[in-house]
Amino acid sequence: MSRLLLPLTIFILFIIEGTVFQIFSGSSHQDTWYFIPYFMLMLVILTGIFRGRSHGLFYGIFFGLLYDIVYGSVLGIYTFGMGLTAYIFSISAASVKRSLRMLTVVILGAVIALEYYLYGMMSLLGMTGEGHGGLFLTRFLPTFIINGIVAALIVSPVRYWFYTVDGRDDGR
Amino acid sequence: MNPFFSNRRLIVLLVCLIFLVGLIGYSLSEQRTLSWPEQFVQDSVGVVQSAFSRPAYWVSSSLDAVGDIRDVYRENQVLKAQLEEHASVLVERNQLEERNAELEEALELESDLSDYTSHHAMVIQRSPDRWNERIGLNVGAQDGISEDMAVVTSAGLVGKIREVSQFTSTVQLLSDQDAANRISARSDGEDTAFGFMEGIDEESGYLRFTKIDMELEVEEGDIVSTSGLGGIFPSGITIGEIVSVQSDEYGLSQTALVEPAAASHQLDYVTVLDREAPGGDDNSEEEEEEE
Repeated sequence: MSRLLLPLTIFILFIIEGTVFQIFSGSSHQDTWYFIPYFMLMLVILTGIFRGRSHGLFYGIFFGLLYDIVYGSVLGIYTFGMGLTAYIFSISAASVKRSLRMLTVVILGAVIALEYYLYGMMSLLGMTGEGHGGLFLTRFLPTFIINGIVAALIVSPVRYWFYTVDGRDDGR
Repeated sequence: MNPFFSNRRLIVLLVCLIFLVGLIGYSLSEQRTLSWPEQFVQDSVGVVQSAFSRPAYWVSSSLDAVGDIRDVYRENQVLKAQLEEHASVLVERNQLEERNAELEEALELESDLSDYTSHHAMVIQRSPDRWNERIGLNVGAQDGISEDMAVVTSAGLVGKIREVSQFTSTVQLLSDQDAANRISARSDGEDTAFGFMEGIDEESGYLRFTKIDMELEVEEGDIVSTSGLGGIFPSGITIGEIVSVQSDEYGLSQTALVEPAAASHQLDYVTVLDREAPGGDDNSEEEEEEE
C-alpha cells in the first residue's frame, strides 16, 4: 500500500491543480495578479532528492506526459520540461537533505526553471506574445513567492515522511 | 556517486528531446483529432476530475450563498421593478414569435441560422498554467458533442469545442491566443457591421473584433453577437459590448475592443449548442464521421 502512496499523492495533486484549485482561485483579482500552482512538481523534485535521480526522472516524465495530454495544447512540452527539471534538481547531496533551507531553495529553483522554460517554449511556438516586463509582476513574481512559501511549509513533513514511512518500504 | 550525465540517463534525455520535437510537430499539425491513447487518458482522468469538481462546486456555491444573503433585500427591490417590465415584454415576444412562425411557414423556410439544440455540461477542469485558455467539460462524443460547437453561459458566448474524446471534451475560450481561434461576428448599432473575433488584446485584456469595414459607424456600447455566417455557430449569441474602436495598423479596416458578456474566469456550468442548419462545406465531413 505504501508503495502506491507516492504516485497516488502526486496524481491527486495533479488533479487538484486543475479542478479544486481553479474553482477557488477564480476570483476578480485575476487581472492584476495570479499564480500558477506547482505543487505536483515540488513532490516530484523531493522524490528525486530522497529516492534518487532515476525515480525523479521517471515521475517527471510520466506526470509531464499526463499534464500534456490533459491540460496542455501542445504535446511534449511538459514531458520534456518536467523530466529535465526533475533530472537537474534531483540533488541528493547530504548537505541538501540535511538543511530545510537548502531543500526549499532547490525546489524554488526548479519552479523558476520550469516556469521560464515554459515561457520560452510558449513564445517560441507563438502561444503568447506578452513581453517579460508585463508578465513579471502579474505572473512570475506571485508564482515564485507563493510557491516558495508553500515549499517552505511542506519540506519538513515530506522529508519526515520519506525518512520514516517510505524508507522501510524502499530499504529492502 | 554517479556522474551528472551517466550514459544511460543521457540517452534517455536525448530520446526525450527527440520525442519532444516530434510531438510538437505532430500536435501543431492542423485539423488534428484526438488519437485513441489521448482520448483514453482524458476520459479516465475526466472521471476523477468530475469526482473532485462536484464537491468543490458545492462548497464554493455555499460560500457564495453566505455572501449573497446580505444583498438579498436590495436585489429583491430591483428585481420587483424589473418584473413588471418583463411581463409586458413577454407578451410582446410571444406575439412576435407567433407572427414569425406564420411568416416562416408562408415562405416554407425549413431551418434558420439561429436554430440549435443544447447540451448541458459541467466544467471539470481548467489548465492550471494560464498559457492557454482552455476548460474541460464532462460531456463527449457519446453525448452528441462534436468539434467547433458553440459553448455559452446564460450571459453569452464563452468559446468553442476544440477537442472531443468519448466522455469528455475541451473548450477553447474566446480569450485563447491561437491563430485558428476566429469567430464570425456582427455588431448591431447604427450600422450592422461584420467581422471576426480574434483572441485577446494583451494590453487591455479585452477581446478583439477585427476586419470591420472602414465606412461603417461602429460605436462604443454596440452589442456584438455571432453572425452564424461561419457555418459553425448559430447566429444571435451575445459576445459582448464594444468599449473602444480604432483603425488597424494598415488603416484598411477597423478593430474594436469588446468587453465579453460572459465572465470567463469563473465558469462552472455551461451549455453546448448544436447548430441545426447545415454548415457550408463541413457537411460532407460530418456525414463521413457518422458512419
